[in-house]
Amino acid sequence: MNDSMLDVPPQPRPDADTVGFWQATEHGRLALCRCRECRRWQHPPLERCAACGGPTGFEPVSGAGTVFSFIVANRASVPGFSELTPYAVALVELDEQPGLRLASRLGGIDAHQVEIGMRVQAEIEALPGGNHHIPVFRPVPAPPE
Amino acid sequence: MGSAGIGIAGIGRTEYSRRSGRTTLAMAAEACRAAVVDAGVDLADVDGMICFEAGDSVGPLAVSSAIGMRELAWNIDTMGGGNVVANVIATAGAAIDAGLCRAVLVYRSLNGRSGHRFGTATGRLEVGGDLQFEAPHGYLVPPQWIAMWARRHQHVYGSTCEDLGQIAITQRAHAVRNPHAINRTPLSIDDYLAGRWVNEPFRIFDCAYEVDGAVAVLLTSADVLASSQQPPVWLVGSADSQSGIGWTEWDDPTTMYSRYAAPRLWQRTGLGPADMDVACMYDCFTYTVMATTEDYGFCEKGEVGDFFAEGRATYGGDVVINPHGGLLSEGYIHGLNHYFEAALQLRGHAGERQVEDARLALVTAGAGPYGGASVLSAEQP
Repeated sequence: MNDSMLDVPPQPRPDADTVGFWQATEHGRLALCRCRECRRWQHPPLERCAACGGPTGFEPVSGAGTVFSFIVANRASVPGFSELTPYAVALVELDEQPGLRLASRLGGIDAHQVEIGMRVQAEIEALPGGNHHIPVFRPVPAPPE
Repeated sequence: MGSAGIGIAGIGRTEYSRRSGRTTLAMAAEACRAAVVDAGVDLADVDGMICFEAGDSVGPLAVSSAIGMRELAWNIDTMGGGNVVANVIATAGAAIDAGLCRAVLVYRSLNGRSGHRFGTATGRLEVGGDLQFEAPHGYLVPPQWIAMWARRHQHVYGSTCEDLGQIAITQRAHAVRNPHAINRTPLSIDDYLAGRWVNEPFRIFDCAYEVDGAVAVLLTSADVLASSQQPPVWLVGSADSQSGIGWTEWDDPTTMYSRYAAPRLWQRTGLGPADMDVACMYDCFTYTVMATTEDYGFCEKGEVGDFFAEGRATYGGDVVINPHGGLLSEGYIHGLNHYFEAALQLRGHAGERQVEDARLALVTAGAGPYGGASVLSAEQP
């Protein structure tokens, strides 16, 4: 095994609570955990709703959201990213529910052009180094007022 | 706290270096022995031990045996970093108060520079738990999480990189007078701004300086404290707040755990920020100092940059923040070195960097969703 084979991004290790997320991305869809009773979205996923204790399942989300905050990573602190620096990572707040956030690398934009409040949309991409797929958010034009 | 009180009878530490070439056991043993010698108490009076670590150190059984103790009446090996320090101190105090033991060595020993480094992940990783959603995006280590929070503060309050820089350069100016600090080269705001980016908005000078080393604090009952050859330093009170809500889900990253712990601490102790002479503020990153200095009430939200720039956080100001240089400049012993410094200051033994007439000190520990704090006093509470 050479260095380039070692230099792949961290791979997810799904468990019984999270496997539905990874099964959805494998089929090109973004789906998040949602309570079947109170209808609250729950991320990271749980077997039971943290708010009401009801059963949960995975349901599709629009993948549309807003940049809540972001960093520009200049240093390859995480394996698999040395070729990508500088890259932007954002906390994206999804339209479905206030405070429902995903952390994501931002694609399709120069890292230094990112701004808080920017509208973004998830696209599913293959994660190098394994069989998983991840949602990567990309900027989209702001909707008309 | 019980009627008689709890306090720090002795303090010990090793050299802080970039490469110790030693085991964490050897360094823990040196720091613990030094704390007992510093107090001048009999080792037979020490019957408890507690440490905190992250799979990077050695537990109380090995360390107690290594310094010649046959057994411990009470011990805990706590999993955690800077977030647990105040709770470790409080728990040791509570164990003494409950009569489980009389004198507890609290230690942290790590090769934080030459061994495992918290700011960097390496190797082929498979990540479970909540981080499985984030690690594949190259978002996995604390400097990234806290930079993300700092950016949000900049957005909400208009704080700037120069404001973060004021914290870094003030603490460095303090470290210049600290012979034990690893970074003693004066730092100007221009030097700060010329520093290389790590995770924007953080530059290299916003990050704790990782070192190898160990610190030990001997926390004891009032009767053992009375037998110490050092001036007593009393534990007035403690407060903690640990949240399971993660770095991504935390609703308002312009505040940290301290928004819960601070009111708890001031209510329990009957004291407030204006009473503090010294504040050893946990500073894994400059932004941690910014958010917690606001949360503990030293100034209003968004004013920390001016608070430092106007000299209110240094000698002659409102309170001296991190007179030793903190984790940024003295070295990153995960916050136990803050207790060492607070004890030194309250004894009046801090030499060239002594805060005049230091009677009360705040020590904080932790960042983001989890942490705590203690108030220490030169007078019996």
